[in-house]
Amino acid sequence: MKESLLDIICCPLDKHDLDLAVEDREDGEILAGTLTCTDCGETYPIEDGIPNLLPPDMREDAPA
Amino acid sequence: MGDETAGGAGRGDPPALTDHDPIATYDRIATHFSKTREYAWPEVESFLADRTAVRAIDVGCGNGRHTELLADRAETALGVDASRGLLREACTRAEDRGIDASFLQGDAAALPVTTGTADLGIYVATIHHLRPRRRRIRSLNELARVLDPGGVALVSTWSAAHDRFADVDPVADADVRAVTDEEGTPIGFDTTVDWTLPGGERVPRFYHVYTPAGFRTDLAASDLSIESFEVSSGNCYVTVRLEPGSASKE
Repeated sequence: MKESLLDIICCPLDKHDLDLAVEDREDGEILAGTLTCTDCGETYPIEDGIPNLLPPDMREDAPA
Repeated sequence: MGDETAGGAGRGDPPALTDHDPIATYDRIATHFSKTREYAWPEVESFLADRTAVRAIDVGCGNGRHTELLADRAETALGVDASRGLLREACTRAEDRGIDASFLQGDAAALPVTTGTADLGIYVATIHHLRPRRRRIRSLNELARVLDPGGVALVSTWSAAHDRFADVDPVADADVRAVTDEEGTPIGFDTTVDWTLPGGERVPRFYHVYTPAGFRTDLAASDLSIESFEVSSGNCYVTVRLEPGSASKE
């Protein structure tokens, strides 16, 4: 994802802004990292350049 | 809205698999499905024909065939889908074609998109995969939320007007389930529509099939207002705007 996307994305739960932590960047594209809600603290992974902003209970790795 | 917050009710509980079927289903069929979704729908092309935008959003973007049209006419084009498999197809397709669009994984009923950010939106052939009814209405409210006050969007759904459903009797048929509004008026039915993979394997997909009148009912229950409504090739195509004063609407 491009860093500029931060201007228009938000936490799916409470719609607050997200903080970005980059783990891998290539040619300006963020390939891996974490988005963290500045309000509720929920974290969302960026994998293969695609942020996963599904609500946590819809994620594949949702804890049972 | 009097409804629970999107994504809030089930947090911490084991995922209800029935709710999440579309993700697993589309992840499974993504490659083949995408191959059969090469071209934009003419109804979407004509809706977009004279429109330009600063920021445009494609909810339920699938392989991105319509996000591509948005990228041609908007400074920023964003495609959202619940299926990672389809998003991979979308990213590959955009890269191959040199399309400047962004894609992210998200739920139509809990959009991870800033309020009032999009002046153009499309939400086509997706709402029929959501259940139950309150999630479908919530997804319409989410589209309204992300539209800016002057924004416009196209919403479409497969409908009971399609030839395929001509013989369906929601009351008598055991494999479909009638859905009504609060007053008991039928608005459509739930059913299963198989996707057949090249090897012949059939993958069931959940569908809520609205009657055209039922789709109007749910749009009226949402924060969107109807600008135009047409039925074409068995699909309902509705041009919508943010309802004035929707924030105070129940």
